[in-house]
Amino acid sequence: MGKILFEWDYSKYPGAKKYPHLFKPVDIGGLTIPNRIVYAATEDNLNSHDGFVTDADVAYIRNRARGVVGGICFMQGVYMDEARMGQGYVGQAACWDDKFIPGLKRLADAIHEEKAVAGFQLMDCGRVGAVEVEYGHGPSTVPQRLRIFRPMYEMSKAEIEEMVQQHIDTTRRGLEAGFDIIEISGIVGYLISNFISAYTNRRTDEYGGDIRGRMKVVVDIIKGLREVCGPDVPIGIRLCAEELLDDVRGNTPEESMETYKLSEEAGVDYISATAGWQESIVPVISRDVPQGSWLHLSKRAKEHVKIPIMMAYRLFDPKLPNDAIGKGELDIWKMCRPMIADPLMPKKVLEGREDDIRWCVACNLCLARLFRDAPMTCYINPLCAHEHDPRYTDPPKAEEEKNVMIVGAGPAGLECAYVAARRGHEVHIYDKRDVIGGTLNEASKAPYGDDELWTCIEYQKKQCEDAGVQFHLGTEVTGDLISEELPDSVVLATGPVYPTLEVPESVKPKLVNVLDVLSGDAQVGDNVIVWGNRKPGIGVALHLAKQGKKVTIVGKEKSAGFDINPSFKWRYLIYLRQNKVKAYNDSDIENIGEGELVVKTYDGYRFPLKFDTIVLTEREPNEGLKNVVQGEGIELFVIGDALVPRNLSSAVHDGYRIGTRI
Amino acid sequence: MSFDAEKEITKLWNNLHAAQADIGRTYYRWRRAALEIAGPDANPLDVGLKAAEVIGAELGKAALPRLNWLKGEETWLRSLAGGIALNWITQGAVVKVEPGENPFEMFIKWERCPWPSYAKQYGVKMEEDVLCCDKILQNILPDVNAFFNVNYKIETLKAIPRGQGVCLRRLYKDHS
Repeated sequence: MGKILFEWDYSKYPGAKKYPHLFKPVDIGGLTIPNRIVYAATEDNLNSHDGFVTDADVAYIRNRARGVVGGICFMQGVYMDEARMGQGYVGQAACWDDKFIPGLKRLADAIHEEKAVAGFQLMDCGRVGAVEVEYGHGPSTVPQRLRIFRPMYEMSKAEIEEMVQQHIDTTRRGLEAGFDIIEISGIVGYLISNFISAYTNRRTDEYGGDIRGRMKVVVDIIKGLREVCGPDVPIGIRLCAEELLDDVRGNTPEESMETYKLSEEAGVDYISATAGWQESIVPVISRDVPQGSWLHLSKRAKEHVKIPIMMAYRLFDPKLPNDAIGKGELDIWKMCRPMIADPLMPKKVLEGREDDIRWCVACNLCLARLFRDAPMTCYINPLCAHEHDPRYTDPPKAEEEKNVMIVGAGPAGLECAYVAARRGHEVHIYDKRDVIGGTLNEASKAPYGDDELWTCIEYQKKQCEDAGVQFHLGTEVTGDLISEELPDSVVLATGPVYPTLEVPESVKPKLVNVLDVLSGDAQVGDNVIVWGNRKPGIGVALHLAKQGKKVTIVGKEKSAGFDINPSFKWRYLIYLRQNKVKAYNDSDIENIGEGELVVKTYDGYRFPLKFDTIVLTEREPNEGLKNVVQGEGIELFVIGDALVPRNLSSAVHDGYRIGTRI
Repeated sequence: MSFDAEKEITKLWNNLHAAQADIGRTYYRWRRAALEIAGPDANPLDVGLKAAEVIGAELGKAALPRLNWLKGEETWLRSLAGGIALNWITQGAVVKVEPGENPFEMFIKWERCPWPSYAKQYGVKMEEDVLCCDKILQNILPDVNAFFNVNYKIETLKAIPRGQGVCLRRLYKDHS
């Protein structure tokens, strides 16, 4: 039994009974951690561009620390060199000088105030770093495959030794700031992983060669850190259990396991297992990868080392890590994205409030934003990175309590409804359907994991019920109903309209709506044209292609999936190719005849395509009811796809914002 | 519904050829401008070779995301040779790729190429065309070799501008 920093008793909580393995203590080095939950070090781009910690980051971390209910909460990885070659994100925290200690201490204090264990991560971004300078540093000058990353500069032996010393000095600063655990980041393409991988380390000196040579720098760092930390402060390392870089001659899985053994021998107290690099060409953490897919890696790691193994990577459902820990295939449940979507997720699991969790939908918008120098944003959680602004996260009661009519019980309407109701309004939500969820009822039937999108509706339903929102399902809102009810405010969240194409009368039966196709209510022939190349078009195209139909997409956007975030879009483009779906982008349908239409490209070329069915996926704003509401002089808001057809994220964020403003 | 396939294909074809011809014209206009800026003492061949060096390096960088070691070195090499050929095919050349007799050896054969015609049209020596092409090809390889940790080389065996009927290049693994 090691030192216990904060006493926690989980025995009274339902979650501890349901998931007993998650809420039992674990020894890591000289510490005993009360539970098996860790918030992983995650960049958020919230700090100042010269590396100083900001109020926004402190508030962000405080929320996550509250969420781990006594577990470990890591702050983001810090870069350690004044030259900023190790800086991979514009808002990354720095720690190359003592002047950064006071800011870092604020983070450690915030974590401790929530009775959680404070984790400090050392992260030189190496090959994917140098975001503010011309050259990145690494073991060898292997060219970049992705041009967004900087050219590489080969480190001399002296520079490697200096880098090792930077790790040691930074650790000393982290300890002075009050952190309890030190972690080395050696994953996804960052500097330490560059040394470890055969792909990026071509050195022939003592820092290169076989896996032992490539691990020398890691061993040197671990030994140096141990001298600073002493025997009691735990040291861990994040290491790839599989690099997934076979296409560029990366490490074999056996070599990766060797890195685990060498790290254990060098003295680390735990290993955090990961899979893949940013340059990997296979999906690792996106929604199309089933949850629990990577648990075999933690199991393999457990077979090779005796120290505790942590793992994140598509382990959203607490049952998965709980069972894996129970079977001895994992020791600690680590996560970042689920706690970006809901900072209190593990706390709610403990308290038996799983229906109150806003689940991550694994869209990777958070990553896409970080890579584009933008602050952290969550697709599904409008409060993310606003934690320092209480007026936004906990909006004050409305000065005047209003009777609010929300038209449409889709994600935009539901989000708006509970936020407005919490602020004291009397909220009535109407939908002509008998069920809530709007077009997400159909959209969540698209393949490659879109069923996970439905968790958003389940969360919103619970919030609406708790906030006292009154549902009027199966009720179509008309001008007469509005005139009769005369609410103080109307929010139109009706979803989009789907314009049809001009076709001869005989062709009309061959035009079907995307929603009818996804719900299975439409007859669809074998040869299908999907009109529209945004996400709804791609989703339905893949849905039909998987049924063995020949599908062609024609759309006006310059590229298919224009509205999908770049960190996920590439997956869809691959799936379109794999399912033999041809997409004609930047194109229009010029003319439609019996079973054949003419496509006109942006530069004027025309060619014919045959079809049995045309699926309409193009959307337009819904202007219906707007004039009626304005004519009655009622306060009006239009949100979600009714305002501008976009995606689930925009619907949720629109709904939240307007909910705070009514 | 009216659709004249022949008309559409002809339009496409003409525009493709016009775009291809413009690549050649643009290069030689740029070369003239570069020589005027460089002044009368500049050696035209040096200017051409410098441009070829930059073009080759850029093509090498562009090749990296398209190459994949997963199916082994032979497949990888075919894909590299095919990618090189494609750069000229899109400019209007007819290029074929064939495996050599030795392992890890490919031959890339240009049966028709518009570049000697452009050179002639702009009064540039045929040998400059050969040397610049060769320079481009040589400079594709450094980034590819560094990225995949291999050592491939390319050599020119025959050249259309030298009156040898085809351009023939040997892409091979250097075992030295």
